Amino acid sequence: MELGMTLAIVGGAIAVILGGIGSAIGVGLAGQASSGVMTEDPGKFGSLLLLVALPGTQGIYGFLSAFLVILKIGLVGETVVSLTVSQGWQILIAALPVAFTGLVSGIHQGKVCSSGVYMVAKQPKDLMKPVIMAALVETYAVLGLLITILLLNGIKI
Amino acid sequence: MSTADIRRVELIAHNRVEKELLSVLQESGLIHLDSPADLEAGLETPSADVSSFDHLLHRLKRALEYLGGWEKKGFKAKMSAQKPRLSPSDQEKVLAFDYIGLLDDIEKNESERNTIRSHIQFLQKEKAYLEPLEDLDIPVHSVCPTEETELLVGMIPSGRFTAFEEAAENMPLFVDIIHWTKRQTHIFLVYLKKEREAVEQVLREVDYHYIYFTDPILEKAEEGDTVKDVRLKIEEEIRKAEKKASVLEEEGKKLAIHRERLMKVHDVVWNERQKASSSRLMGKTERVFVLEGWIRSKDEKKLARSIRRFEDDVQMYTRPPLLDEEPPVALDNPRGARPFEVITKLYGLPQSGSMDPTLPLAPFFFIFVGLTVSEAGYGILIGLASLIFLKWAKPKGGLRQFLTLLAILSLSIVILGTLVGGWFGFPVRKFLILDPLSDPLTFLGLSLALGFIQVWVGTLLNLISEIKNRNYLEAIFVQGGWLVLLPGLVVYGIFKIPAAGILTLFGTAGIVLFGSPSRNPLARFFGGLYKLYDISGYLSDILSYSRLLALGLATGVIAMVVNTLCQTALGIPAVGWLMAAIIFVGGHLFNLGISLLGGFVHSMRLQFVEFFSKFFKAGGKPFEPFSLESNYVEFVSINAVNEDVRR
Repeated sequence: MELGMTLAIVGGAIAVILGGIGSAIGVGLAGQASSGVMTEDPGKFGSLLLLVALPGTQGIYGFLSAFLVILKIGLVGETVVSLTVSQGWQILIAALPVAFTGLVSGIHQGKVCSSGVYMVAKQPKDLMKPVIMAALVETYAVLGLLITILLLNGIKI
Repeated sequence: MSTADIRRVELIAHNRVEKELLSVLQESGLIHLDSPADLEAGLETPSADVSSFDHLLHRLKRALEYLGGWEKKGFKAKMSAQKPRLSPSDQEKVLAFDYIGLLDDIEKNESERNTIRSHIQFLQKEKAYLEPLEDLDIPVHSVCPTEETELLVGMIPSGRFTAFEEAAENMPLFVDIIHWTKRQTHIFLVYLKKEREAVEQVLREVDYHYIYFTDPILEKAEEGDTVKDVRLKIEEEIRKAEKKASVLEEEGKKLAIHRERLMKVHDVVWNERQKASSSRLMGKTERVFVLEGWIRSKDEKKLARSIRRFEDDVQMYTRPPLLDEEPPVALDNPRGARPFEVITKLYGLPQSGSMDPTLPLAPFFFIFVGLTVSEAGYGILIGLASLIFLKWAKPKGGLRQFLTLLAILSLSIVILGTLVGGWFGFPVRKFLILDPLSDPLTFLGLSLALGFIQVWVGTLLNLISEIKNRNYLEAIFVQGGWLVLLPGLVVYGIFKIPAAGILTLFGTAGIVLFGSPSRNPLARFFGGLYKLYDISGYLSDILSYSRLLALGLATGVIAMVVNTLCQTALGIPAVGWLMAAIIFVGGHLFNLGISLLGGFVHSMRLQFVEFFSKFFKAGGKPFEPFSLESNYVEFVSINAVNEDVRR
């Protein structure tokens, strides 16, 4: 029973950690690029902020999934559920899709966004085009999140 | 659903009305000017020289920037600032004063002020240079070598001073500390010239730094003036310069009342420049000139009316565009769908003569944003914010369209938020028809169903545009095939109705038999069979709509997390309610930001990637009528014709 609970907590933790790493790297890449552009043109802060913030969603998806895990195992309420070892494994594995898609797509979305920052530097009117490009990468994190939610929802406790 | 009907227009006019005609065309803003299709022999294109305009515009812009420095600043002033208004018929009056003289005055004021400001800076540096030497009580002019001795002022890092003292002890050297700080020690030195080499050796070792009085300082110092006297003189000079600068600044402030006039001058001159530069599109002879362009067919009468007063001097002809001509594209949608043009324009205008996707995408986009944000409370906030901004700042053009779009979308967010989401994380059970958290599969089904409908509509639109292009066989059998195959397959799969199965087979047959253009029957059959593989594309397109569920859920769960944190914070004694309030406001604003961004961008992507790819071809060039352009002022026209054009 103890082990089951531990495994579920590991699952939640992995979701936050990997999603967070992906977003941190992604936002970092885009942030560096935009600081470079802003040394030349400080007025672009507003539009660049959008591109820098975009790779941040993966971390939020990870956080959200971890919160669903916490709700599932009742860590916030008064009644903590008792988990078998296999239920613990199930929750851990259910958390993996959002964790890994978030890690990889966060990094790559950051790369797309930082190229987008350079594009906005030269073509300020075309702000939304790189945003859409970045959203194409994010699709896979969204799908990972979707499956994690469905899996967590399906696990019987 | 189609773009506005555009016709070619040709104006032939007498040279004597050239200026006047251009003004009328510019004010009416109906024609997109284009170079004449074929310049017949004898027609010349005048070269338009606008450099004198550009020079004047540059001066005006600079002067406006300088005067802008004296304007009241602050967020509130900026937001509620109204552009000065100008009626097109008053343009000549605007120029009827000595604006060149005013510009000269402003430029003189600016350059004099800059000179004084930089002089003050120079003086302040000089003062700072002298300050540590103030306690030197011999006259400045006597700090120079005599026949036998060397007199020096200098500086040693304070850390090296003891080392210097030790070395100096055995030397014929007079040292006086003028000023001491932790970092530097300023000293006054006297020694015999014959000892120079030994002394300089020591000075080098302790990083001695020579200080000389510069020429401007020496000039200021009269016979017998000490450093302190010179410093006082400099201070006096700074005071005088400051006074002069403040007088100039007062004058600048007074000049700033002319700012509005200069704004008007700038815009009038700018439009004069545009007029002058448009003459490069003319074809000219000795007596007459030709001007060609494009016009929306519904504006033809308006144009005819506005040039009626030239009577015999202008002739106007219009005709539909030729096959090899590519007219510019203007979107033409009913009022309610107009804000959604933002999305179409972002992807690119449709090619001329092809379909405008704005109307079909509008209802889908409306629903998708509502489902992905799905928070009625946020919808209210977004709606209020955009309406207030529209009312207060009165933005123009693209921003106005975008804000109107947001206001419309907020309606969808409120409605769908109440039905499938909540109000700031609290679901209203009475109105809730579907709770995505407890029943995600139904929500997923809904998302996919919406996706299916949009993909189907996209295919239908493709069929329509193929028919327009007279590809009847391909349109009816292949696109029509998909149109019956897809729903047939779904209905048969779920309900096992045989009729649906038969429908599916009909669709399949159409695609297999007509999918390939080849004439060889075998190649045609296998080519058609291969076309069936497109079903994987349809499948992945429809599955892509599952993001509606994921994004909708994300908003709801984060809102719930914020509220849970609030509850935890409420448990803290004494300051709990304050922290809870901060978390509630900050958390929900944050969630609003990311979910609106995500919802908007992903809904847009669904239009671009899944919907547009079925039927839409972008690449039209925009219809940009020759009209009054405003940078600083707002042109308010008296006649209704213009009002309608610039809507």
